Amino acid sequence: MLKGAIEYAPSTFEERGAAVAFTTPLLSQTRVRRGERSKLEVLIPSLSQGMGIYVVAWKSVPDMVSMTMHDRYLHDLIVKEEACSPYEIRRATLKAARRGLAGPKAAQAARRALDEDDEQSTLTHYLLILSILKAVGLESPEMLKAGIDTDEGQRLTRQLMTRAAESLRMDATLLYARLADIAAVTAPVGLAHSPRPGRLTRGLNDLKGFRDGMIDWAREVPSDAAPVAEFCAEVAQHTIAIGEKVLGDFHRRIEAIGPLMRDWDDAFIRVRSQAARMAWLLDGWSHITGAWEVAQAEDRHQQAATVNDLFRILPLLPRRESSRDFVEDSKQVKLAHRRSVRMLEDWRTGQMDIDAIRRIEAVKARAP
Amino acid sequence: MTGRSDGMTGRADEPGEADRLPGLENRLFDIPEDKFIEVVRLLERVRDHPEVRQTFAAIRPRLVQVRPNRRPTLKRVLCMPFEDVLESASGVDVPLGRIERRVIDPLWRLVTECGDRALIDQLDRQVQETAPGNLNALRNVGRRLWPMAAQALRGAVGGAGETDTGRQALWRAMLGDEEMRRQLLDVAAFLEIGLTVESLKDSLAPKPLAALDDPHVDAIEQAVQAVARQSAGLVYYLLLVAASRMANPADLLTVLNELDFGKARREQPVIFAQLSGLVVTNLEERSARLDGAGYSAGPGGAAVAIAPEEAIAIAERLIASIDTTSAVMDVLADPLYRERLDAVKLSVRSMVSGTVLDTAPAGILTAVPAPAANGRPAPVNEDAQAAAEDHARALRRCEGLAGALGLHEPLKDAMASMEKGLMARAQALLAHYPKAAGDPDDAETAEMNLFYALRLLELVAGPAKADRLRTAIMAATGEFAEE
Repeated sequence: MLKGAIEYAPSTFEERGAAVAFTTPLLSQTRVRRGERSKLEVLIPSLSQGMGIYVVAWKSVPDMVSMTMHDRYLHDLIVKEEACSPYEIRRATLKAARRGLAGPKAAQAARRALDEDDEQSTLTHYLLILSILKAVGLESPEMLKAGIDTDEGQRLTRQLMTRAAESLRMDATLLYARLADIAAVTAPVGLAHSPRPGRLTRGLNDLKGFRDGMIDWAREVPSDAAPVAEFCAEVAQHTIAIGEKVLGDFHRRIEAIGPLMRDWDDAFIRVRSQAARMAWLLDGWSHITGAWEVAQAEDRHQQAATVNDLFRILPLLPRRESSRDFVEDSKQVKLAHRRSVRMLEDWRTGQMDIDAIRRIEAVKARAP
Repeated sequence: MTGRSDGMTGRADEPGEADRLPGLENRLFDIPEDKFIEVVRLLERVRDHPEVRQTFAAIRPRLVQVRPNRRPTLKRVLCMPFEDVLESASGVDVPLGRIERRVIDPLWRLVTECGDRALIDQLDRQVQETAPGNLNALRNVGRRLWPMAAQALRGAVGGAGETDTGRQALWRAMLGDEEMRRQLLDVAAFLEIGLTVESLKDSLAPKPLAALDDPHVDAIEQAVQAVARQSAGLVYYLLLVAASRMANPADLLTVLNELDFGKARREQPVIFAQLSGLVVTNLEERSARLDGAGYSAGPGGAAVAIAPEEAIAIAERLIASIDTTSAVMDVLADPLYRERLDAVKLSVRSMVSGTVLDTAPAGILTAVPAPAANGRPAPVNEDAQAAAEDHARALRRCEGLAGALGLHEPLKDAMASMEKGLMARAQALLAHYPKAAGDPDDAETAEMNLFYALRLLELVAGPAKADRLRTAIMAATGEFAEE
């Protein structure tokens, strides 16, 4: 069901929808959201290089666009799991890629990413235990020496955590439950003092690299695409500025783990919403920073085409999240952009552009 | 593989690799870029050592790719005006009017022994004090080096009959090598227009240019006029540099007749004919490196296997050049050129048939494993899958060339047979799936094999046909079945 092109100016992240890493060029990074009566719907930008956006019922996408086998699988999976937050969409995407449907390299990358998620979760859990013990003055060199993955280490940990619960005046089971909740929320962001930054923190760092790359490219390669690159850098910078603020605040609250445990109801909601905001802020960027990395090996004409491709899928901030109206500003850039856009495959004939698909799969293999 | 018998290492019967720094060049392809640049800097300090020189030859492809700012040497400054026409280390592409790398050492000897020694010493010191990447400083050195070197070269090679004993001795060393002599005289021409060449390079950057835009054409015209004021005979060499900076050198022919050659206006038709003849010869040379069995003779005569995707990329470049050249040649109305171009096209056709079509069954179908007799699924081989996918993409890209090469029917047959073969193999895997379904690991392996077969079918036959197999796979695995 096609509702027709609408002016696209979402006010919240949820309204903007979460980017889906489809491999069909026309659908690449289109956004899914919960629409009327909670039904999933997809937002497809500028179907015919025009302005505006099409809102399509999720279930009818396969009837409208000739999709790759990967995308059909992912589409079914998203329907089945009713996924629509960045976290759920990412898990579904990794699951689809792990099946091999975006090629062997993307499958390997997805397996690595899923393993890393598990490792990060274990590490965060461990670091949070240490930080709880430290907060109640129960640091134990013996426990650290034994390590958490040994029987002795676990026995010592349990003992200390029981004492920590007493000190926090709560039941040990409750302490463990809250610890698990915080760990789940924290693992994707990562702790400030973690030896390995979390996925979203790395994403924010990659975004800084992308911003610098766009600024340099616009300066070094004078072309129609230079103003487009400058705009990409501005959107990235704005996102980085907000991201750094959210990240700083998030880390500060997690550092103060004692008060967080005590004032649980309010404090946890705040921490959870900050982690969610980080995920929303960076949603859609990993494909963009990955695509720019892939383009480094290409010539400047290809890079210009990539800059234009990325502009089309740039995660503009919703109105309520930013003081600047990027949707309005992007219209000024579009005039320059339309002249040098890389043609998508003809969606009416369903003829697939295998080179374009391959480029998207190469990004998936790099930034799953 | 060819044996090397230069007598320096005393292992003339060993393959070339054996006498280089053992295994180093292989590792130099894998290490990160910053480390690579570091190693290159270290090697440069001892670059006159024969083994180090061999290593440099072996790692040239990565040097070309990474382009580290190499430590400047006077020898390298000498080569700047003709570096674009230096023969590349590998591949089928040959620059127009190429200079072989083997010319560099004799050239350097001739210049240092016959040139102005005091000036050379002075410039050498200047270069040693120059920071890598300071192009302007190097060009300032070149401004004084190139005219002197050109004169010395012309004296030594052009006037080989003179009584100067040093020159005679040198010339004797190269006696009989007429090709070397010709190339040295070409180098002298490039050196004479060194400064104009350098400024044209800035205008025609970055290399390779995908298309000639107005500013490029203006820059070429101005450079041609500047060189024509120097000598009309040198314009041809300037145009060789311009052509070598383009992705498709034949494109230069399309604008050539619209340029104002200034003082070389009278020579314009001759230069055009000369350059078009060279483009055709160049196409012939490039196609001669394809022998239809999927091998190209590298610069040293080494046999290099061409992957299907690389074969298609080569064919696309050659066909684009042939098309442009044919269109331009119609002006000359010379039937001989047409025949020569048709012959080039034929060898491209046989290369594509040999590397992409004939090898499709072995390259694509064998990646889908046959069901094992014991009921357990064959392990997933992701390297074989990646290679098969590349082959399938090459087959699809053939569609764009089939018209030009007269390959419509063979391609249609190959595609149909791949579709049928993949479908049959996938159906066999599907029939055996229930045997694996009981064990989670086996089921996952069997499903991966099925999904990989599905991907190959999608690449070869398109999503609509592949979707029927997908539906069958999903029905067998029951993954998205309504609970």
